[in-house]
Amino acid sequence: MTQGKHAMVNFAVNHPKVIVAVSIIITLGLMIPIPFAQIDTDPENMLEQNERVRVIHDQIKEEFSLYDHLVVGFVDEEKPLTQEFIDKLGLLVEEIEEMEGVVAEDVMAPSTVDDIYRTPDDILVVDRLTADRQGYETDVPVAEKIADNPILQGKLGSADGHVIAVYVPLEKKTYAHDVAESVRDEISTLGITANVHIAGLPVAEETFGKEMFKQMGISAPLAGLLIFLLMLVFFKRFSVVTAPMIIAVMTVVWTMGLLVLFGFTVHIMSSMIPIFLMPIAVLDSIHVLSEFHDRYQKSKSQRVAILSTIDELFKPMLFTTVTTIVGFSSLMLAAIPPVRVFGAFVAIGVLIAWLLSVTFNPAYAVLLPKRVLTNFGRQDEGRSLLGRLLPRAGRFAARARVPVLIFTLVLFAIAAFGITKIQVNDNPTKWFKESHPIRIADNVLGSHLAGTYMAYLEFDATDTETKSVKNPETLRLMDGLQDHLAMLPQVGSTTGITDIVKKVRFELKDGDSAAAIIPDSPEEIAQELFLYETSGGDPDDLFKFITPDGGKAVLWLQMNDGDNRAVDEVVQTANTYLEQNNDISNLGFEWGGLTYINVVWQEKMVVGMLEALLGSFIIVTIMMTLLLRSFSLGIMSMVPLTLTIAVVYGAVGLIGKPYDMPIAVLSALTLGLSIDFAIHFLKRGQEIYKKRKSLPETMNELFDEPARAITRNIVVIALGFVPLLFSVLVPYITVGSFFLAIMALSGFATLIILPALVNLRGERAFRMWGVKYAHPHKTTSQTESEKEMVS
Amino acid sequence: MKTHAATALMFLLALAFGTSAVQADEAALKLMQESHKAYYYASEGGSARVTMEIVDKKGRARERVFWMIRTDVEDMGDQRYYTHFIKPADVRRTALVVHKKAEGNDDRWLYVPALDLVRRIAANDSRSSFVGSDFTYEDVSGRLPSMDDHKIIGPDSAMGKAATKVRSTPKDDGTAEYEYRYTWVDDETKLPIKEEYVDKKGETIRRFEIEQIVVIEGFPTATVRTMHVIDDGQTTIRFDEVTYEAPLDAGRYNERLLKNPPPEFTK
Repeated sequence: MTQGKHAMVNFAVNHPKVIVAVSIIITLGLMIPIPFAQIDTDPENMLEQNERVRVIHDQIKEEFSLYDHLVVGFVDEEKPLTQEFIDKLGLLVEEIEEMEGVVAEDVMAPSTVDDIYRTPDDILVVDRLTADRQGYETDVPVAEKIADNPILQGKLGSADGHVIAVYVPLEKKTYAHDVAESVRDEISTLGITANVHIAGLPVAEETFGKEMFKQMGISAPLAGLLIFLLMLVFFKRFSVVTAPMIIAVMTVVWTMGLLVLFGFTVHIMSSMIPIFLMPIAVLDSIHVLSEFHDRYQKSKSQRVAILSTIDELFKPMLFTTVTTIVGFSSLMLAAIPPVRVFGAFVAIGVLIAWLLSVTFNPAYAVLLPKRVLTNFGRQDEGRSLLGRLLPRAGRFAARARVPVLIFTLVLFAIAAFGITKIQVNDNPTKWFKESHPIRIADNVLGSHLAGTYMAYLEFDATDTETKSVKNPETLRLMDGLQDHLAMLPQVGSTTGITDIVKKVRFELKDGDSAAAIIPDSPEEIAQELFLYETSGGDPDDLFKFITPDGGKAVLWLQMNDGDNRAVDEVVQTANTYLEQNNDISNLGFEWGGLTYINVVWQEKMVVGMLEALLGSFIIVTIMMTLLLRSFSLGIMSMVPLTLTIAVVYGAVGLIGKPYDMPIAVLSALTLGLSIDFAIHFLKRGQEIYKKRKSLPETMNELFDEPARAITRNIVVIALGFVPLLFSVLVPYITVGSFFLAIMALSGFATLIILPALVNLRGERAFRMWGVKYAHPHKTTSQTESEKEMVS
Repeated sequence: MKTHAATALMFLLALAFGTSAVQADEAALKLMQESHKAYYYASEGGSARVTMEIVDKKGRARERVFWMIRTDVEDMGDQRYYTHFIKPADVRRTALVVHKKAEGNDDRWLYVPALDLVRRIAANDSRSSFVGSDFTYEDVSGRLPSMDDHKIIGPDSAMGKAATKVRSTPKDDGTAEYEYRYTWVDDETKLPIKEEYVDKKGETIRRFEIEQIVVIEGFPTATVRTMHVIDDGQTTIRFDEVTYEAPLDAGRYNERLLKNPPPEFTK
């Protein structure tokens, strides 16, 4: 019986049923843990649990009893919201306070916050904002009260009375989605007619998580179906095409099963593993199918066809697998835990896909009933569209090698320019399409109110001489910073203990606006805060801005733009201001807030990804040189990859798309996928050259089956992921477009630029170190490597 | 013990002979009035140095020390209070005058020493915190028994003493932040040795306890009292240097007092 070169493949062909049975058992076994997966959609987990910024963030939240919150905004574009609405809102707030996961005592709404005012008899009062003002004939509308109060204006409502907001603090962010749903239900029960918008990072993050799994349930299977149909177009046999699909599904199940089994959570990142693995798994199988398809009619034996196919493809497939693994393993060097898990498990998945390609594929091929394969591959044989077009492309590349190279260089130049234009930016809210309710809420509330993005800046005076922030120097520094930051357009409002001191002072001095300043003596500050507590103010409201012992204070920064660039600008501006204006020694400053955490992890991500990309680029170059045993070919093999990465990221820069988390991660995919075609092309070129010993003949043969396999891959993967383009989640759209771009670019580079380069290099191009090439026309004896081929 | 038995007997009689509920309620009101007098109207006034410890949910404590003096204008009627802060140091000399009215809202004036300014303030008595503590103004100066419907639940014990448990429901629920409250009236002293405030859902939201009673100048005085806010903080107040010899004339509780306090109350 015919035997192949590789024991593993021989075993699969000799014991196909064992391979199939074992594969099925493993698949079923690894399906068991999947339903127990722990879902984690918290971008905070992009950083280690003990990462400094997270520790500080939690500490600030704990010290000042701050919580991540939802912003529920009510908008009436036509007329100011009525008293009837305010009454219903009061009922709604009572219901909200009862909801699971809501920190009842900290809900901020017109009916729960305090207002400071003077009666006509000059009595100072601190009372509920919705309570009737004492001593007045007619009550002041809520919107006016909000507008009069610097602590509330812009936060709780717009000055024109068209918008009112309720802030719902959450015990944990994970309640966000459910609370938002319950709030919507309650709003319709109460018959509140104003337009409702629910915003805030927790709801964006939580909803993203929910949507993500919906998308995984729709987009991924749809992509699978499309890939299947496209393969059916190429190979025409349902049962033949089923093999790559089974391999893809098994690869995904094994990988995800192992992921869960090892106790890892399914994070936003790891949820993308199936989408990444599917094309990689299918890629190898298409090469196998394509080759098998073209060879079957020559031998009419499944066994012979599959063995020779695998023998031919074993090395290129191994090489592409190893390079893809290197590409993704490099992510394990990143400082971001979910990225490390992602990198590791995609690498494991790639290994699984390879293993199945060289075992399950042949076993399946041998088990196919013969009648299925009657006429399989016959109609093709060079007469198909691909069969006619590809050799022409090859001849074109050889002829027009100089123009092709010039074109390539121009492309590189444009790409390089584009890369310099890249803007690093991210905002989890913008992971939704513009038309998504969350984006609309963000826009509407951002334009009417101070904004829905919060950052916190803590002033720590525990190590200073006075050990307290309740002194004129510290509060003036804070007050000055507030004025300074107010000049930035993204800063909607800042609130601190300063505002309470100023407001109390203003009321104490009979509403003299010149009195609304930080006083000169620490005693006066203390006494004004004391007055606030004594006249009915809730001390807990004070402790949201200052610790009870006065050692620390926190400034709330509310922003209408949650883009990391915008937040970063605020942070930089504040830090510079404090550096230049702070004369108090040992006064410490710390940042917190979800928006700030996002800035920190993104910085790590960008740097980490760049390092990973550069690192694996160098490793892959060395590997390619060694694998191809040719320095020039090693360098050449990197051209499609380099061009693809350059053009893709150049385009990102040119069209002004922000370089965000998904785009950063996709660099690994680009590296892993775009080298594949080059490997197949060059490795098989070397194998053919060993036999033919003539460059033109080698090129002709390369543009036969190998080029067809590459082209089929391009079409299947590029089009297969088109469903992702219709997702409501931007990262999925990005992934879909990347697949398209990677396939088109690296395919083009492999089929046009590589041949041009090879032709430029001439006969020596495909030679390997340590192999003797006799002159093609003078000898008929076989070289050692050719003997090896036939055995 | 005697009073305890009498109350129990009356209660049993009411049940046994089907005496009208009105009469039972009258007995309850009478008991609460007695208790109110014992707690808020002992003698005709008095003074004490008060130490207040406010502990928040996270266990962070703040201390306040102040002198508190009182003069009754009329027994079980209007009262005058003066509070003079000693600690924390940065609010020293801040002072508060309250004209408590049996009917209607109290009048309050606060003196801000840093500005040498007296400002009239108003706060919601039943809801507003007394100087940032867990006590409300009403807890400190008293809520008229006539504002609630009272019902004797029966003999019980609290803080290790025999007491009569009374349930009081505000007549107008707009005047209170709770649905009803239980008071354990000490049979011996008539002081409200324990109170529990219950919300709409039947959950206890605040609990008041008298931890120490000392008889001073013939008057049983609650010298240590704690208000627990359930699932939140608590405030304990301790009374020292208590005397019932009314030191001030009711007419002196005015702006001049705020600006020029008697020296014995500034130490």
